Amino acid sequence: MEIRRNIAKERLHQGKTVSCFAGWGFSGPDHIERLAPLKPHGIFLEGEHGNVDPANLSNYTRACDIIGATPIVRINQNDQGVIYRTLDLGALGIVVPHVNNKEEAENVVEGGKFYPLGKRGSFTSRQGIGIENYHDLANNQTMLIVLLEDIIAVENLDSILEVDHIDVFMVPSGDLAQSMGLPGQANHPDVQKVVDDTMRRISKKGKITGAIANKDNVKNLYDNGARFFLCDPRPYMAEGFSKYQDFASRNIK
Amino acid sequence: MEIRKNRIKQRLRDGKHVIAIENLNDPDLVELFAPNDPHCFWFEGEHSIVNPQNIGDLTRASDLINATSVVRVPRPEYQLIYHAFDLGAQGVAVPHVKSKVDAELVVNASKFSPIGQRGMFTSRQGIGVEDYFNKANDETFVLVFIEDLIAIENLDEILEVDNIDVFFVGPGDLSQELGYIGQPDHPEVRKVVQNTIDRITSAGKVAGTVASITSYEWAMQTGARFFLSGAIDWIQQGFAEIKEVLKQIEN
Repeated sequence: MEIRRNIAKERLHQGKTVSCFAGWGFSGPDHIERLAPLKPHGIFLEGEHGNVDPANLSNYTRACDIIGATPIVRINQNDQGVIYRTLDLGALGIVVPHVNNKEEAENVVEGGKFYPLGKRGSFTSRQGIGIENYHDLANNQTMLIVLLEDIIAVENLDSILEVDHIDVFMVPSGDLAQSMGLPGQANHPDVQKVVDDTMRRISKKGKITGAIANKDNVKNLYDNGARFFLCDPRPYMAEGFSKYQDFASRNIK
Repeated sequence: MEIRKNRIKQRLRDGKHVIAIENLNDPDLVELFAPNDPHCFWFEGEHSIVNPQNIGDLTRASDLINATSVVRVPRPEYQLIYHAFDLGAQGVAVPHVKSKVDAELVVNASKFSPIGQRGMFTSRQGIGVEDYFNKANDETFVLVFIEDLIAIENLDEILEVDNIDVFFVGPGDLSQELGYIGQPDHPEVRKVVQNTIDRITSAGKVAGTVASITSYEWAMQTGARFFLSGAIDWIQQGFAEIKEVLKQIEN
């Protein structure tokens, strides 16, 4: 048997973009499987703020595997045990929130990669069933994403970017705004300036960045170096529903 | 405590339309929809994962955001119908109703005496409601599917049955029987659907049908006022749009 390829990671390292479906509110594998016709490169499963946890991870990641989308899980703490257990249960990508300095970035790599790159706990993941030499092959298919979402992380950016084997450095604005004393004002010009500058600094260093994207802002994000795009389905549902509503109201009552 | 009002029954009485949102058989997704003030969620128990284990959670989420919950049960069966109501559904949709006898069974199972003989039990919707058994019938929504040629043949007598809120013309199953499997938008199928909707509305009843991304503009001009629409269509379209923008940037 061949190891399952990490489509999202492959695309990023070929310089291509990744459209990752954000499964916010999607609390079941059956709903994930229904997304197959969308052909997403990745599915983002929410374990920092949502219901994704060890009890349902393998069913979730199996649903992603079966539709050919890379399962990418956001965990809720930068803990090596949490990182490799999430990989053991089938995740091919890990998103670690609030990475603020070089040591914390190194911790992600240590937990996410087997020897010689790190010291991920030795265990055959769901993704390793029937794979010869899994421990030698796994590191290549494991994608690591860190969130730089505190102003201190921006200050420490140069040293964080020295850490190898992190595939994507994202700069989400929500928490960043809070850490800048502007809670709930992710769109504040001061916050957006820090986000834009930081994304450009990341891509200038030859590293990959990413962001939550919609059809209106994606060009700007791309120009700032983003290649990993998280697509939120909630606006799509809202738009579709209101389109039908408007049509019905005009034609019926 | 007051009984929870059935929002879509009221809308239909007022001559308005109803869009029932399907594909979100998940309480968290239902609740996420709150800002858009949906009137109705459709929980799929004929073809999808909805069953007695999750109807309580699904309908509670729907209640909380003031949308009416409709559960499609697997078949026209007496106990299945009132069990869905007992667990919290404010409406039941019954597939493959083919005759007057079937339609009468649906009403008998959905309404307490004197209209029917729904099994005696206080639903989630009846918790703390005084005199629930005398109030429940008014807030109970009933939909039957007309989706077989035999049902169309028997339509006149099916339409004689009172206390059915919507007669839903299902293009999917009809397309199969008409020899156009998987083509619910085929002109021949649409002709039959339109004709059936006309007969329903002429009898003074409310008709429903599917409003998909390919059919909603047509469906909403047929005279039907109840529409079943898939959220997956909307998600697919939104995702396709951003992928298209990315494709253009990359090329």
